[in-house]
Amino acid sequence: MTQNHKSLTIGWLYPTLMNVYGDIGNVKVLQKICEWRGIETKIINLNVGFDYKLLTTCNLLLMGGAQDRQQEIVAKDLFSKKENLKHLIENGIPGLYVCGAYQFLGNYYKKSDGQIIKGLGIFDLYTQNLENTRLIGNIIASSELFDKLIGFENHGGKTYLGKNIKPLGKVIKGFGNNGNDQTEGAIYKNSIGTYLHGPILPKNPKLADFLIQKALENKYKTKIELKKIDNQYEKEARLIIAKKLKVTI
Amino acid sequence: MNYIILLLGKIFSFLSKKLNLGHGSTWPGHIALKLNRNFVKDYFLNSKTKIIVICGTNGKTTTSKLIETILKENNKKVFLNSSGANLLNGIASSVILSSGLFKKTNYDFAIFEVDENSVPEVNKALTPDYLIALNLFRDQLDRYGEVDAIIQRWKESIKNLSKDTILILNADDPQVAYLSNNAKNKSLYFGLNEKNNNKISHGADSIYCPKCLNTLTYESVYFSHLGNWKCQNCGLEKPKTSITSLPYYPLAGEYNKYNFLAGVLFAKQENIKDEIIQKALNSFKPAFGRQEDLEFNGKKIKIFLSKNPTSFNESLATIKSLKAKNILIVLNDRIPDGLDVSWIWDTNLDYLKQIKNIHISGERTYDLAIRLRYENLRFKAHEDLNTALNYAIDNTKDNEVLFILPTYSAMLEVRKLIIGKKIS
Repeated sequence: MTQNHKSLTIGWLYPTLMNVYGDIGNVKVLQKICEWRGIETKIINLNVGFDYKLLTTCNLLLMGGAQDRQQEIVAKDLFSKKENLKHLIENGIPGLYVCGAYQFLGNYYKKSDGQIIKGLGIFDLYTQNLENTRLIGNIIASSELFDKLIGFENHGGKTYLGKNIKPLGKVIKGFGNNGNDQTEGAIYKNSIGTYLHGPILPKNPKLADFLIQKALENKYKTKIELKKIDNQYEKEARLIIAKKLKVTI
Repeated sequence: MNYIILLLGKIFSFLSKKLNLGHGSTWPGHIALKLNRNFVKDYFLNSKTKIIVICGTNGKTTTSKLIETILKENNKKVFLNSSGANLLNGIASSVILSSGLFKKTNYDFAIFEVDENSVPEVNKALTPDYLIALNLFRDQLDRYGEVDAIIQRWKESIKNLSKDTILILNADDPQVAYLSNNAKNKSLYFGLNEKNNNKISHGADSIYCPKCLNTLTYESVYFSHLGNWKCQNCGLEKPKTSITSLPYYPLAGEYNKYNFLAGVLFAKQENIKDEIIQKALNSFKPAFGRQEDLEFNGKKIKIFLSKNPTSFNESLATIKSLKAKNILIVLNDRIPDGLDVSWIWDTNLDYLKQIKNIHISGERTYDLAIRLRYENLRFKAHEDLNTALNYAIDNTKDNEVLFILPTYSAMLEVRKLIIGKKIS
């Protein structure tokens, strides 16, 4: 079977609610880098009240961040589909979970007033926002799999990883998970949690390719090698941030 | 005390202009407030000057300019803060710069446009006669935070206002309209009443009922989350408006209709005659960078400040109605622009598919380049703004217009290149 006949179904969790930080950019990137390689894509918008059976048709999942009020609405809906989502993640369905979504996959979120909001408990991590300060700015983190990860972070919660999960990268400049232990994000099976937006995929093509490759391998049960595509603008855009933060990439 | 501060402030402002230090519009006020925290409050104590505070993500400067034009047409003495100086220190500076040293100048009106985050602080420092709230969209999330957080702070601040402050609110923006809830103030509303079949587009912020959080239904959508809204759950709906249209709008674009409606509603509340209002609308000149007409190498340029997804989308919709053929987009990431440029992904670039002469520039040229590439657009990227401007204008035909869509600091740079002078 040639690559030209391949197709992927991408599930976008809560696009009308979880979309604050340009998250639509991640969807556009996945769509285009597939199109340029002759891979057909179908995007399914999974909004509040969606049929849980739709999840099983997805080869790749995406979920972004939101405001608190929106996040409350989403939490109610997603808890009822927790086992379905967990099943997919445990079975290696790749996914990208940014900011609020990343926190939500963890065990809990502790607010500054001590209130604890339960998470889905799929990622072994917890988040707390004790000081009510935000970690904001450009960030560069190194990662074995994806080269240097470059993006912008803006989060109030500080996340701490448990034993059963690995960090996505090591912070070179910026805050990352909590501003203390130099970890950024998390990777579990083929699912990625991160605080990087900007959005993350346009400036980190290796990460975008990883998600596509894993989704295809998972679907077609065979080793996949993706065709190279031109990344000149991406390189230039990455260099601008690297220069700003005085980091060699 | 305030006399000495005024004198000091004027000296500082003089020096900063002479020595070209910049920040002339915020520095004197900053120092004044350091010396007397209540400088602004004291200044307006027992004063007859009526104060108008204008807030909102987009349209503050244009609305201020219109109100200034109307009041001047009505022979009133007016002063206002400059648009880049909309924190409390900018307001204090405008007080210093506009007041006489020896005799208190009797201004009839003071018009202050106020930064979203500074609304509570400003409302504490002075007692506005009018508070005009235009809209609230996602903008510079790194600086302002999310829309819900801002509206909460505005609400708190309105609770503490004098009951004599008149609220002028946008009825079409659900959260802004709801600001009057539980307020004891007189509230007047402006809004559009046009029929259309537009749908809520991606990235709209306030599409949930401000009272019960249910998803709102819209009979018409004007842009983003502005429209004829209603909550099917609790019955909350767009309030009754006092004004919905004008016979003439000086600037193009749906978004500008709101700015002019707000300004005219204020004028009507002040009992200013219709013919004066009409005269002011006819003679209205845009504020710098807001659909401002300029010339460069003998060709026409129109600048549309485009600083967040809503203002960018509305600029594109407006230049589409003007049949634009040439465009230069400039994206910077300095503090006044927002350090985070992820908002460019929340824009709708469909119209650009019809444009052949597209140029991009700015400190984040390549972020724009990636964005445009993912729409399969053809464009030229120039890191250097001067090169970009010259290329873009060379490729603009003699009888055509080059439309420039810059972020805030980029707008100042572009103007400097075009007219050789920078406005701070």
